[in-house]
Amino acid sequence: MILNGVEIRDSFAEAFPMVGTRLIITADTPEWAMIAGKTTTGFATSVIGCGCEAAVEQVLSPDETPDGRPGVSIMIFAMDFKSLKTVVPLRLGQCVLTCPTTACYAGVETGKRVPLAKTIRYFADGYQISKKIGNKRFWRLPVMEGEFVCDEDTGSVEGVGGGNFLILARTRGQALAASEAAVKAMAAVRGVILPFPGGVVRSGSKVGSKYKGLFASTNHHYCPTLRGTVDSALPPEVGSVLEIVIDGESFEAVAEATRVGISAVCDIGSAGGIVAIDAGNYGGNLGPFHFKLRDIMGAKP
Amino acid sequence: MSGIVLRPRATFEARVDLTGITPDNLAGLSLAEVEHLSVPHGGRAIALAELFFVERAPDSVLLIEIGDERLDHVGAGMTAGEIIVEGPVGAWAGLAMSGGVLRIAGDAGDFVGAELSGGRIELAGNAGSHAGAASSGSRRGMSGGLLRIAGSVGQRAAERQRGGLIVVFGNAGEGLATDMIAGTTCVHGTVAPRMGRGMKRGTVLCHKVPELPAGFVDTGTHDLIALRLLARRVAELGEMIGAATSARRIVGDTLLGGQGEVLVVA
Repeated sequence: MILNGVEIRDSFAEAFPMVGTRLIITADTPEWAMIAGKTTTGFATSVIGCGCEAAVEQVLSPDETPDGRPGVSIMIFAMDFKSLKTVVPLRLGQCVLTCPTTACYAGVETGKRVPLAKTIRYFADGYQISKKIGNKRFWRLPVMEGEFVCDEDTGSVEGVGGGNFLILARTRGQALAASEAAVKAMAAVRGVILPFPGGVVRSGSKVGSKYKGLFASTNHHYCPTLRGTVDSALPPEVGSVLEIVIDGESFEAVAEATRVGISAVCDIGSAGGIVAIDAGNYGGNLGPFHFKLRDIMGAKP
Repeated sequence: MSGIVLRPRATFEARVDLTGITPDNLAGLSLAEVEHLSVPHGGRAIALAELFFVERAPDSVLLIEIGDERLDHVGAGMTAGEIIVEGPVGAWAGLAMSGGVLRIAGDAGDFVGAELSGGRIELAGNAGSHAGAASSGSRRGMSGGLLRIAGSVGQRAAERQRGGLIVVFGNAGEGLATDMIAGTTCVHGTVAPRMGRGMKRGTVLCHKVPELPAGFVDTGTHDLIALRLLARRVAELGEMIGAATSARRIVGDTLLGGQGEVLVVA
């Protein structure tokens, strides 16, 4: 399959089940909401080293938030529910509670409950105020700035982690420009996050290493400086490869984000130095979710 | 569950206790079985059909036509379904209700919504004393659900309230929220003196600073994000809070170690 001069390789992204949740963070200004969102999802690129994968999902207008202020939604994914229940209150307590003017609300109503203020309310040392109306409870924690308002808990979803595609370009600059275009286009897709810096990975990994104790190591098949010395997957004209990794609340959301991202790259096309689109997988033996590039790009939007 | 209509045969000569006459209890009963249900009437018990014409209704509701201030315990103990009363009711309407909807077109007597734990009571008229409060001898009043009163309430509304939401569009009588434990009460009109004595926690929302006991401390006016949240999340509170983002916060009853609050929304 060739789209606008870009080869869509007959490959697939192999993804894994993850458990995730969504938080809605609001603040007095969009800037402070984004600061809270980015701080809360910092150091959360890969479960391998960070314990979770997280990023800002959407920017929300005041009409879309529970308290009518500007906000962001963030998503946090972990390998199991126990890990999720650990990392979410930690990040909430250190990064949202501390951030000026913020409030935090549940972004998912269904699924197992992940504690929010249920855990961190004790920071208020007995001065916390609970309000339960209907079946929803939130807490007000007196803080030096005023009050921190936070829902008691949020729901969770059984999502998909590790969806991905690789952009094979002639130069580093062209790979980066295409990646940026893909990330920008994918921001419109709800229910997915791109947990790596700016949504882009420059050091895609393979499973295992020659060194004991390392779970992952550089994906040498796609390293252009090793071409000719290893079993390379890169044709001679490829000078740089960047990867987009996608976590999402469902298979469909990740598939849609993949389609939107690859389409944006293909719009740049071979004229913009894009050679091919590939995907990272482990032979299909490890992850139950397979995103076949040609099937996805052949499907109608 | 098909509905039932109760139409009074005549003016009641004594108080009638309708405890247990709720849609959930009537479900599955034939018309004859409903007619033969025994209800306390004055000092004796008589068949429901002696007091009411009993008819089927198309909806799964219990409709009480006309209403009467001698009808006590309307909706008491209801867990599901809907009761509509076309006029006034007596005391204890919705006592210990845990679900469903009770709509009353007229006034209600004392203890409406007492110990309500779930569901919704909508009262178009005024309520007597102890609305949403604890019943005699009980330690806890209303603990959940919604009590919406279009008119005014008498003395000691929300006494020992433990949870849920009471919205009063008229005025509140003396002793509002006495010994309140938790929950939210909102009064659109005026609040009579001596409210909040012994208040432990909970929130009373009003528009003007009421006359409060000595144990209440004014913390000043604050921009409260919780107001914005409540206004959007709870339609009944949105009607009162509107676009307000700040409130004067008065905390008490501190003489008893309480941390309840009166939020005065301008």
